[in-house]
Amino acid sequence: MTAASPPIHRETWIEQVKKNLFRNWWSGLITVVLLPTTGYLAYRAFKFFFINGQWEAVQVNLTLFMQGTFARDEQWRLIAQILIFGLAFGVGLGTASGAAHDRADDAGLVFKRSSLADTLKRMWSLVAFIALLLFFASTDETGNLINPYLVVAGGLGLSFVGYQAFRLPRRLRNLGWLLTMVLLVLGFQVVSGFDAESWVPLSLILGSAAYASVPTEMFDTAATRQAVKVLAALGAVAVVFAIYRVVDAPGIGWDEWSGLHLTLMTSAIAIVLAFPLGLLLALARRSTLPALRLMATTYIEVIRGVPLITLLFMGQFILGFMVPAGTDLSDITRAIAAMTLFTAAYVAEIVRGGLQSLPSGQTEAGQALGLAPPTIMRRIVLPQALRAVIPAMVGQFISLFKDSSLLFIIGITEFLRVRTLVHAQAAFRGVAIAETLVFVAIGYWAFAFAMSRESQRLERRLRVSR
Amino acid sequence: MTTPQTTEQARPPFWRDIRVIRVAGQIGAVVVVFLILNWLISNLINNMNRLNISTSFDYLFGPTNFQIPYDPQFNPRSPVWEMTLVGVKNTFLAGFFGIILASIVGLIVGIARLSENWLVARLATVYVEFFRNIPPLVLIIFFGFAVFTFGPFPILSESWEVKAPGSDDNLLLINNDRWGVPGVTQDGSVAIFWAILAVGIVAAVLVWRWRTRNFDRTGQPHHRVLWVLGVLIIAFLIGFFASGQPFDMSWPALSENRRQVVGGFEVNWGFLSITIALGLYTASHIGEIIRGSILAVHGGQSEAANALALSAFQRYRFVVLPQAMRIAVPPTINQFLNLVKNTSLGTAVSFAELTALTKTSIGNGRPAFQSIVIMMGIYLAFSLIISLILNIVNRRLQLVSR
Repeated sequence: MTAASPPIHRETWIEQVKKNLFRNWWSGLITVVLLPTTGYLAYRAFKFFFINGQWEAVQVNLTLFMQGTFARDEQWRLIAQILIFGLAFGVGLGTASGAAHDRADDAGLVFKRSSLADTLKRMWSLVAFIALLLFFASTDETGNLINPYLVVAGGLGLSFVGYQAFRLPRRLRNLGWLLTMVLLVLGFQVVSGFDAESWVPLSLILGSAAYASVPTEMFDTAATRQAVKVLAALGAVAVVFAIYRVVDAPGIGWDEWSGLHLTLMTSAIAIVLAFPLGLLLALARRSTLPALRLMATTYIEVIRGVPLITLLFMGQFILGFMVPAGTDLSDITRAIAAMTLFTAAYVAEIVRGGLQSLPSGQTEAGQALGLAPPTIMRRIVLPQALRAVIPAMVGQFISLFKDSSLLFIIGITEFLRVRTLVHAQAAFRGVAIAETLVFVAIGYWAFAFAMSRESQRLERRLRVSR
Repeated sequence: MTTPQTTEQARPPFWRDIRVIRVAGQIGAVVVVFLILNWLISNLINNMNRLNISTSFDYLFGPTNFQIPYDPQFNPRSPVWEMTLVGVKNTFLAGFFGIILASIVGLIVGIARLSENWLVARLATVYVEFFRNIPPLVLIIFFGFAVFTFGPFPILSESWEVKAPGSDDNLLLINNDRWGVPGVTQDGSVAIFWAILAVGIVAAVLVWRWRTRNFDRTGQPHHRVLWVLGVLIIAFLIGFFASGQPFDMSWPALSENRRQVVGGFEVNWGFLSITIALGLYTASHIGEIIRGSILAVHGGQSEAANALALSAFQRYRFVVLPQAMRIAVPPTINQFLNLVKNTSLGTAVSFAELTALTKTSIGNGRPAFQSIVIMMGIYLAFSLIISLILNIVNRRLQLVSR
């Protein structure tokens, strides 16, 4: 005697509508009120976007929105930067994917690789924004230097090529990270040029990247490995120095950047600079030394208690007086300094959260092994704590990206302020105000939304991997 | 007698002695920080002396020398500290009304995101994902310029007048510059009114206590809110008539030359755009907090409420929301703090709040360093007050949860 399986009830669409929209009388009432309202708003939005909107203000000035007052005959630098960053993005993603695969292998789990197409689908808002840009660019009659379609296709193609880094054998995994680092720096330098002093930060970055990521598995003793690492770091510094000696290619420093390019770059630069500072502050605030703790706490709480704009004013009006007479700091340098000092306090709180979330057993285990406190911090605590705070750091980056619009107020021509230039043109004086604003809003939204999605995904994955 | 000797031997050399390292590390850190600060400040003072910039705070008592927009009562000859107070007042007003708007919209959106009605949940999601990912400054400028200044509203002299039903008075005066809303005028005997109302408030507190005690003792429904409202309304009416009707409604209207709003209360476009923009922006964050807090309430609580045959409203009102609020309140207060800090963007729509006025004042030749330090100090005070409230609330919530 077999038990009859329960009847499977497939809901018809009428039942679904009834369940989701007219479950009870007040739900039905809300639907009846909201449905026409939404429809009307959608109709108005459609009319604005496709019929009434005067989008010429954006179309004609598309290049202005993207690169602002950046010299037009130097545009190839930006295009090269897009291409190199595309490659770096691909290599980084491929290496991360490969590393995840390695971990899954270690744990004996099945690994499902997410394809590049999946990544693009996840970032649909960005894809849509780029499609919008291409649509506007195709009807642009001012004649761009290089067909934007080629740039986008090149960037995508290069990131696909870079993504193949996941095929690298496991022992070369670190090389993928090194390559990503080098590409990021190179992409930055292709615009800012190989200036006289910039070899110092560059060799620091590349030297430490080389130290951390040179493959050493083939050497037996710890001493040899250490020697190889030091040699790699010195080699990287030497290579950088040599390049700077040979190549004297002045570029365009950030003082002359503007538009969306400036918005993206200032937020990236500020968060990169703020990270080490924030890490130090977090460690100081967690320290058992009262003097350090007091200083770090004061700094963090004061900075978090004031709006960013006051710090930007500080940078604008006072920072110039705080350096010896004759030192000339540009507006953008001062703004980046203010954004860095501001973000460092928030990064410190995020890192502190990560440090606190780590069970004390980790530190105790290190102590039981007889490790020195700095080694425990560097080898046991920080790797886990920093991994846990990645989503929050992405969130902080989104916040900084949105806050970079405040440069508008201190008169720097970032993405939002390009509008001022547009509406100063005779053709657009006092017209198409909403159109340019909506375009700028879509631009900010596309980046912030894509990043927030990515941060949510990282959070889910980290929670699962716990 | 050998014990002290062994400790003497076991003692590491001083450069590896943890006590020495700790003291030396702290002294080193303090010295480094002091040297950096000293360098910065001595540079500052040298440069300011070199350029003959005043380092004193005397300017606070000098004249402001400019007219605060939309504040005709302000005399440009009044001292700078009065201007600063006007800025604080406007920051406070924008923050206060922004917080009210953000709380209401945020609560609605947060609950709507969990609605069983597909359309409601979808719209709330779109709202949150839209407003959360746009810089507040873009929203402020959108409201300031695309909606108010260059938007659908008429110019001042052709204001739309929304009449109060059955009368000739204007309930609202709508244009692209300054809106008129009903206001209240008061005369001399208003002190008596406030005194009677104060007595009424004390009485209301006592009535609240009495109803609560009654409820605890007998289990009878307490109807605290109704009782207290009743007491307050009676006190208001008694005070109003006993003091000879000290208040009068004042309705907004256009002046003879149609260039000014007379009567009522005037709300300028800067205030409107900053309050609405920040209210809507912060509401998206608060909505997410409310939603997360409701989801964080254990599912068994809802099931228990269902098992007790509570209605959906009762389930929310008496079981889910009280527990969700405990989780939601601290991060929500943090959002309020963010909103107050974001009012500093008022300068983009020439709203005369603290930052905008300080900026104008610096532009008028007041010393930048002192002005900015005072401004930062005031914001810091705002933050500290709100954190203080947060701490008190946290402590109370914890007491409740025991």
